[in-house]
Amino acid sequence: MKLLRAQFSNFRLLRDLDIQFSTSPERPLTVVRAANESGKTTMLNALQWGLYGDPALPNGGEGMRLHPIDWDAGRDGRRVPIMVTIEFEVTSVRRTPAGFKETRRRYRLVRSTHEDVDQDRFSRAQSSVRLFAITETGDTPLQSPEAIIADELPTELRDVFFTDGDRALSFIEADVAVSTKRDRVQRAIRSLLGLGVIKDAMRHVEKTAGEINKAARKLGGTDELGSIAARLEEIETDRDRLDGELTEAHSSHANLDGQIADIDRRIASALAKGDREKLANDIDATRKEIGKIDTQLDGAVKEHAALFRGIELARGVLGAALAPAYQKLDALYDRKEIPSATIPVLEDRLDIGSCICGESLSDSDPKGAKRRAHVCELIEKSQRADDIQKMVTALYFGSKALEPPADGEGGAFGEAYRGVVEKRDGLQDLRDDTGRKLRALELQIDDMPDADVASLRKARREFENQKDRVKFREGQIDTQLAGLVAEHGGLKERRDSLLREQTKGARILAELEVATDVSGVLKRAFDRITDEELVKVSDLMNEIFLDMIGADAAQGALIQRAEVSREFDILVFGPNGRKLDPDRDLNGASRRALTLAFILALTRVSEVEAPNVIDTPLGMMSGFVKRSVLRKAASLSSQLVLFLTHSEIEGCEAILDEMAGEVMTLTNPAHFPRMLVNDPGDGARKVIRCDCNHRSHCHICERIDDESPALVDGGDAYV
Amino acid sequence: MSDRYFNPFASVDILVPTEFKEDFGRFCQTGGRAVIDHSPFPRMVDLWFLAVCVAARKGLDPAEIDRRDTYKIIDGSIFSSDPWRVHTLMMIAISQSNDVGIVVEPRRMMSLANGLATAGFPHVMDMLKDGDAEPIWNLSEAIETLERDAA
Repeated sequence: MKLLRAQFSNFRLLRDLDIQFSTSPERPLTVVRAANESGKTTMLNALQWGLYGDPALPNGGEGMRLHPIDWDAGRDGRRVPIMVTIEFEVTSVRRTPAGFKETRRRYRLVRSTHEDVDQDRFSRAQSSVRLFAITETGDTPLQSPEAIIADELPTELRDVFFTDGDRALSFIEADVAVSTKRDRVQRAIRSLLGLGVIKDAMRHVEKTAGEINKAARKLGGTDELGSIAARLEEIETDRDRLDGELTEAHSSHANLDGQIADIDRRIASALAKGDREKLANDIDATRKEIGKIDTQLDGAVKEHAALFRGIELARGVLGAALAPAYQKLDALYDRKEIPSATIPVLEDRLDIGSCICGESLSDSDPKGAKRRAHVCELIEKSQRADDIQKMVTALYFGSKALEPPADGEGGAFGEAYRGVVEKRDGLQDLRDDTGRKLRALELQIDDMPDADVASLRKARREFENQKDRVKFREGQIDTQLAGLVAEHGGLKERRDSLLREQTKGARILAELEVATDVSGVLKRAFDRITDEELVKVSDLMNEIFLDMIGADAAQGALIQRAEVSREFDILVFGPNGRKLDPDRDLNGASRRALTLAFILALTRVSEVEAPNVIDTPLGMMSGFVKRSVLRKAASLSSQLVLFLTHSEIEGCEAILDEMAGEVMTLTNPAHFPRMLVNDPGDGARKVIRCDCNHRSHCHICERIDDESPALVDGGDAYV
Repeated sequence: MSDRYFNPFASVDILVPTEFKEDFGRFCQTGGRAVIDHSPFPRMVDLWFLAVCVAARKGLDPAEIDRRDTYKIIDGSIFSSDPWRVHTLMMIAISQSNDVGIVVEPRRMMSLANGLATAGFPHVMDMLKDGDAEPIWNLSEAIETLERDAA
């Protein structure tokens, strides 16, 4: 998983901020430069809240205000909408007959909530989260977003993916109990193993035990009913308002689509001359081709899904499982108890109109009609007496289609599946090629000196941007609505339960004992698997750590080795195997390097492609160790996002030149005039972003203690 | 005249334990707007049916669901369009009960199938989730392997 973009709205200092992340394999580093109190830690919290919700906030979000501290309730309303949107990309690999095939999918996650502000007090609603798959044909909401996030960024590894430089020491810090540190290391390593299945089973057993307890408790009625009813009314009002806003957004969306289509027509018309005309035709034809391929791709995907409702699937899965039933039916057949031939033979004679003996069974002949009535009577009697035989007869013949393939015959499901894979992969490759062809043609057109077309294209891009914003708003409203619906459901259930007090029966003790036993078995399995992975993390941590601090054991360095013990302690050893206490015997820089080495080793061993987002990782470091830690971290992480102060960056500029794909600066306007040269001109307490990198500053971010300003950005800024 | 596609399950309910409800929503396309690669089953009954087959194949005992909270995903009339499913359920019922006479007891057969589906469902979840690709690919690979193993 790689982060692509994040947008923050009314999250503390981040009132309205948008950032992009570098996804380049050559330059995996994204740097957010910011002085103290400029939103670094807030952004780290906001990203975690976006992905994991309130539990990811310090102290589980208990009592923590999310809205901006200077929110003007009189002017902007008592209700503050808070939202974090994160776009990310997931790479998946699957086996194909031709080898491994890599596919990338993009998603947009929107988490929202609101806080009701009443002077110094506030209350926060439960947040809601939506996840959309982003495709070229539009955004599609996905079910169970939490499950998908948990698959990509397991909650237990949150401390590994998102690290506060100061809290990074949590694995070795002196101020916490040994058991706490062990627990942190243990949890991080266990989550690496993807032991979700066992853990889910453990949770399920615990939940079941909870349910058993709950079943025994009596509920009592309270006047809570009144406040629930009032909140339900408020929700209805908010839903009406949001529905209105959503309708408005849909209308803007449609309007913008119309304007974009109009510009496309005008561009096509402007290009319809000479070579341009040919190019325009080529583009048009390519777009149509893409449309056709997309339709075929949709069809192939549906064909793939159709495999899961076909008889081939049942045959493939069941294999020989039906053999006992076939044996039974064959035995009945051999004993001539089936097929049930009487009724079909009699029915055949009725259809033909003559008896086996040659006599007529025709209605027009009185004797024939009498015989016919007799035959019908015989059929009716047989039907009543022969229900089982009839069913078994139909089953005997009908079930032939379910028989497993004969020896040497390939499986029908596998054959159909391989056909679908070939079709899907072929079409996807074709789609990628045609997409590239279209982009090349569009570039050719853009390069042509045609001011009119260029300005039309510019206008088109503007409309596309507006449309993006409207789509974004639609997603936000959708998310808020979903949150309200969920809250409504919960409150309604609570209200109903208050009206339905009842006592359930016992059996509780016996059931609880069973739950405890099962839980014990699962836990023992869990512990055993954990131990094996421990060694891998320990070895890699040692290698990274020694490299970071430049310690060469062969040269008699003070620090010889680091390891994670079987008890999950992080240990460091000096000469002659003397044990050093990381809390006390290491300097600040080495302790930070040790924890970063542990985090990077964990990520590496897990083989999870995931970002490492670290706030102030280089504090207390200088010189060789600082540069070495930065270089090592950037080269080991698949995506490294660092929140750095100006002093952390000092001396590392050349590494950032080489390894940073995105660099931006955050500024807190409240720092003017003491720390900022210029007044950013915004009274509100909020962080402002500019595109200045580690070597430049502009009129927004220029700081009084900045020593060597140089001009960039049209005279307003300096490099 | 007898109907060779007679569906004995037409008025019998297909039940699933409530705890599986979220997973059914996640992996089935019922409700529309689903991304097929993430939600491979066209209908809930397709997931239920696969769970029955997997349980039968693995020789699992039917789970006891009478005392569990369940909900109805649909009734057996859905099999009228797929008569082979009627035959499959009957064959599974005969294999499990060792009694040919069970074919005229649709409720007993469905009760067996519901129990098997409940037992097989966690295995189907593993098939969907085990692997590095989207659920549709993971599941396809797992079924292909099952089929190959049976050959």
